[in-house]
Amino acid sequence: MNSLRRLGRIVIDSVEGLGRASLFFLEVMSGSRKLFRRFELVVQQVFAVGVLTLLIILVSGLFVGMVLGLQGYNTLVKFGAADSLGLLVALSLVRELGPVVTALLFAGRAGSALTAEIGLMKATEQLAGMEMMAVNPIERVIAPRLIAGIIAMPLLAALFSAVGVLGGQLIGVGLLGVDSGVFWSQMQSGVSFHEDVLNGVIKSVVFGVVVTWIAVFQGYESVPTSEGVSRATNRTVVYSSLAVLALDFVMTALMFK
Amino acid sequence: MSDAKTERGTGEALVEIRNVHFARGNRTILDNLSLTVARGKVTAIMGGSGCGKTTLLNLIGGRLRPESGQVLVDGVSVPVLRTRDLFELRKRMGMLFQNGALLTDLDVFENVAFPIREHKRLPEPILRNVVLMKLETVGLRGACNLMPAELSGGMARRVALARTIALEPMMVMYDEPFTGLDPISKGVIAKLIRELNTSLGITSILVSHDVADTCAISDYAYLLGNGRVIGEGTPREMQESSVAEVRQFMGGLPDGPVPYRYPAPDYLDDLLQGVRT
Repeated sequence: MNSLRRLGRIVIDSVEGLGRASLFFLEVMSGSRKLFRRFELVVQQVFAVGVLTLLIILVSGLFVGMVLGLQGYNTLVKFGAADSLGLLVALSLVRELGPVVTALLFAGRAGSALTAEIGLMKATEQLAGMEMMAVNPIERVIAPRLIAGIIAMPLLAALFSAVGVLGGQLIGVGLLGVDSGVFWSQMQSGVSFHEDVLNGVIKSVVFGVVVTWIAVFQGYESVPTSEGVSRATNRTVVYSSLAVLALDFVMTALMFK
Repeated sequence: MSDAKTERGTGEALVEIRNVHFARGNRTILDNLSLTVARGKVTAIMGGSGCGKTTLLNLIGGRLRPESGQVLVDGVSVPVLRTRDLFELRKRMGMLFQNGALLTDLDVFENVAFPIREHKRLPEPILRNVVLMKLETVGLRGACNLMPAELSGGMARRVALARTIALEPMMVMYDEPFTGLDPISKGVIAKLIRELNTSLGITSILVSHDVADTCAISDYAYLLGNGRVIGEGTPREMQESSVAEVRQFMGGLPDGPVPYRYPAPDYLDDLLQGVRT
């Protein structure tokens, strides 16, 4: 009976948390309307969450592309289809790995930083100080960060895919001897803009919303102590990673029938 | 706001707390508390840690709402205000937080400029002069390019004070302004609180448990205990009070109505129980 009660408590707490997060999201989106007049706040945050995440994204993209080139070639060559390497690398990156791996890396680098920053602002009474200066922290602190995350994620995912394709070409053409013209022409004829590229962009926008939403919510709701901020940061990475992987499955099932 | 304005308080008092009750869960923080803060004076609110002093400031600033009772600031009932009206009221009240609460990603100049940039559209040269004047008031004009991490505790609080008076408020609430400061910094903060009160004509509410520094600069003092007022008067009257609780607090006596020992079972029984088992 006790375990049943505990299960009920967990379910109620989860639903309540989801409700709070949804109301918070609506409040932030409503607060973000004022950002049209102060877009410099968003630009600053795009730099913080986007530009500063660039290096890890580019390096990871290059290595993922190179691994795809190696593994893809080894498999395709068994079926005499090594010419399709370019297509395989590009489709894997644009449809799946670009958005998903970028989102996972974004959650680890930018998401955790957002949560820790907002949590510490709360712990050091900076958010309370803003409220007492008649400045709404939701509009001034949270909204620019959420919008910046939504803008930065598709751009980072696009760069990840682009660098990944270059990595695949480096290995496939440069090392394994696939013909350069075939590599690129297969890719050009096989990748559809609407079916593949656009769906990949939609995925990365959705991941941008979800990961940044989780990050700013966890920071804003964190217990204002060092332990509380550490737990919130931890939750951001875990929840966003799980949400990204689960949503990827759902979206893939809907998009690529 | 029109409904709230019908609750006009007396002209002498800027802040009136009437029969306020506030609890967190089962724990009562403020119990039927009533007090008034006179316009243009420095009013001290003293009491031990956890007696509800900071909660009281949060009620006055509208960050918390009481379960019952009235909180009037300049004749306006704070708990019933809509967010927009509350923010308008907050532009006229400043609050100095215990650790200053400076924005760590902005330098000293931008911290003081922050509320002005948010609420007023001043041309940059005028804004610069206003900020420098505020910093000069607290003696830190020369530190305008430093980051908050480069400031000592006392300097951070002075910068925060300059930011608090940036919008020229009618009142300033000080939350434990002396905590963790060396004697020189304490003296500087005390001097500034008194001087700003006189020169700018603002009303000051000073929450502190630092008896000597607080009494030296305040016009009237309240002592809180168990969520209610246990003593009030001018600092001299408080020092000479015959009420046991007031005497214990003002004299810093380790034992008295607030017991030294936490309630425990009989000492001998407790020790013998260990021997028996």
